[in-house]
Amino acid sequence: MSGLPDCSVRIGPLALKNPVMPASGTFGYAEEYAPFMDLNRLGAIVVKTITVKPRVGSFPHRSTEVASGLLASIGQQNVGLERFLEDKLPFFQNLETPLIVNIGGERIEEYVSLARSLDQQARVHGVELNVSCPNVSKGGMHFGVDPDALRDLVSQVRQATGKALIVKLTPMVTDLRPFAEICQRKGADAVSLINAPIGMAVDIKTRRSKLGRNLTGGLAGPAIKPLALYCVWRVCSAVDLPVIGIGGITSVEDALEFVIAGACAVQVGTCNFINPRITLDIIEGLERYMVNHRLETLAELRGGLGGPDTRGQ
Amino acid sequence: MDYAILKNEKVAETCYRLTLDISKDFHPPIPGQFYNIRCTDTKDPLLRRPFSMHRLFEENGLLCLQILYRVIGKGTEWLSTRKPGDALDLIGPLGNGFLIETRKDVVLAARGIGIAPLCAVADSVHRAAPASRLHILMGARLKDRVFYREELERLGNLYLYTDDGSLGFCGRAPELLVHLLETGKIPQRCTLYACGPAPMLMELCTLSERFGLEGQVALETHMGCGFGACLSCAIPLKISSIKKTPVWTKPALQWSEDGDRCYSLICKDGPIYDIREVDWHEWLA
Repeated sequence: MSGLPDCSVRIGPLALKNPVMPASGTFGYAEEYAPFMDLNRLGAIVVKTITVKPRVGSFPHRSTEVASGLLASIGQQNVGLERFLEDKLPFFQNLETPLIVNIGGERIEEYVSLARSLDQQARVHGVELNVSCPNVSKGGMHFGVDPDALRDLVSQVRQATGKALIVKLTPMVTDLRPFAEICQRKGADAVSLINAPIGMAVDIKTRRSKLGRNLTGGLAGPAIKPLALYCVWRVCSAVDLPVIGIGGITSVEDALEFVIAGACAVQVGTCNFINPRITLDIIEGLERYMVNHRLETLAELRGGLGGPDTRGQ
Repeated sequence: MDYAILKNEKVAETCYRLTLDISKDFHPPIPGQFYNIRCTDTKDPLLRRPFSMHRLFEENGLLCLQILYRVIGKGTEWLSTRKPGDALDLIGPLGNGFLIETRKDVVLAARGIGIAPLCAVADSVHRAAPASRLHILMGARLKDRVFYREELERLGNLYLYTDDGSLGFCGRAPELLVHLLETGKIPQRCTLYACGPAPMLMELCTLSERFGLEGQVALETHMGCGFGACLSCAIPLKISSIKKTPVWTKPALQWSEDGDRCYSLICKDGPIYDIREVDWHEWLA
């Protein structure tokens, strides 16, 4: 083997030079990370959820650290579509990395309107549907837990965009497989999972939630990695769509676990806050692993979980 | 970035002063800015912890950063066991920093470890306006929790207080400030810098309105990243009092759709705010 191994992956119309990207909501609008790293080395960039109108977000006391995790309620704070296009998108003109915009809403029409508008932007390469925001009362979660609602949503957004279409799924359902199957049947190019499951933490001195008036939050970080791996493995057994693994990845070893479980790519979330260069560390670690194990392509590793009965039941 | 620890001294029962060599830092901090520090060799605690710059000075040809901290949990417990020569992983300097006013009378109002960023203000005031008079209000719940007396006496007029009256003025910082203003020990044309628990800062805000004082506060909260990505450290501002200057550009303001609410990120727009721009009631609700 000569030179670097081939880490490239394909997600629908999108060719990524490597399978590592930041998870939406943990990477701001990417400009926040420019002082720390060369953003061009990422497989793709996924920016935080954009809604049609700006959102001020959740009440203060939005986050608290829990065992091996971060419990947070941000409430889709974002600048809204108009300011995103005017103020945030120009930053990407000088970058080569594909841009995936995560979009959220309360109604299908909002998702469609966002997807249609972003479809006009040459600098946008894909949209990721947030159908599972844990912290907004009507933040799209119902799409992620109601098969009929999801079917209509994916189907209509598919009509609105020719860009890569990824659906980010919640683990707050009994079985994720039917939801992934719907995404495949309705034309999504990939599913990403898992979005943060909902959690709580109580302050026993004040007898209030540690997230104040928000009460509940999305649980992220290493605490959710086993759950995320299980979900990825189950979904990979049910669909032929590329699956993007998300949940508690803090090292190349974690990322490799997701690939072996069947993921074609990974998103790194909370760890960006701790080590803003973690995505680059993982890309370099992945290349080293492939060289050391004489792997020429990532596909040789993907879904290679050994042992008996490795398919989801 | 990793920096070498030069000293990690115990200065009181649960308080330590860390000195780091930051000579390789091309952007030395200004008073009020902070560093987000990895306080573990493992993943516990998971997130970094924010610490304000306490003092900055040159010694033996090295640029030295001091951080003053109280041991309150796993992270600071770990930090207290670090030895000279150990490396520490810091991100920073972060945040906006204090605006140093050159009024004749400057009041520093602290409670406990809140004194940490205010000593840097004292140093800057001494440099920028040597004729300024510094008045320092320092206290805690009990006598045993009041620390750093000798250092503070060197910086200016020190007024101590305790909630139970076991040392100095019996009461809290806002009550002591009222007493000093009403008895003329501190003139009303003064600038106030404060750091401590949010309820204390809220009371000082009320006093700043009553006495017409200018003031700035250093805020503390849970942070995820420290550089504006996680949006954890949002604080509501009073929309009619938002203060923007060439230094305080407030890049992270987020308005509601109808423009009647505005949140600011403490890590980016702060951690220093004008005492009157914070919507204390909403923040502490």
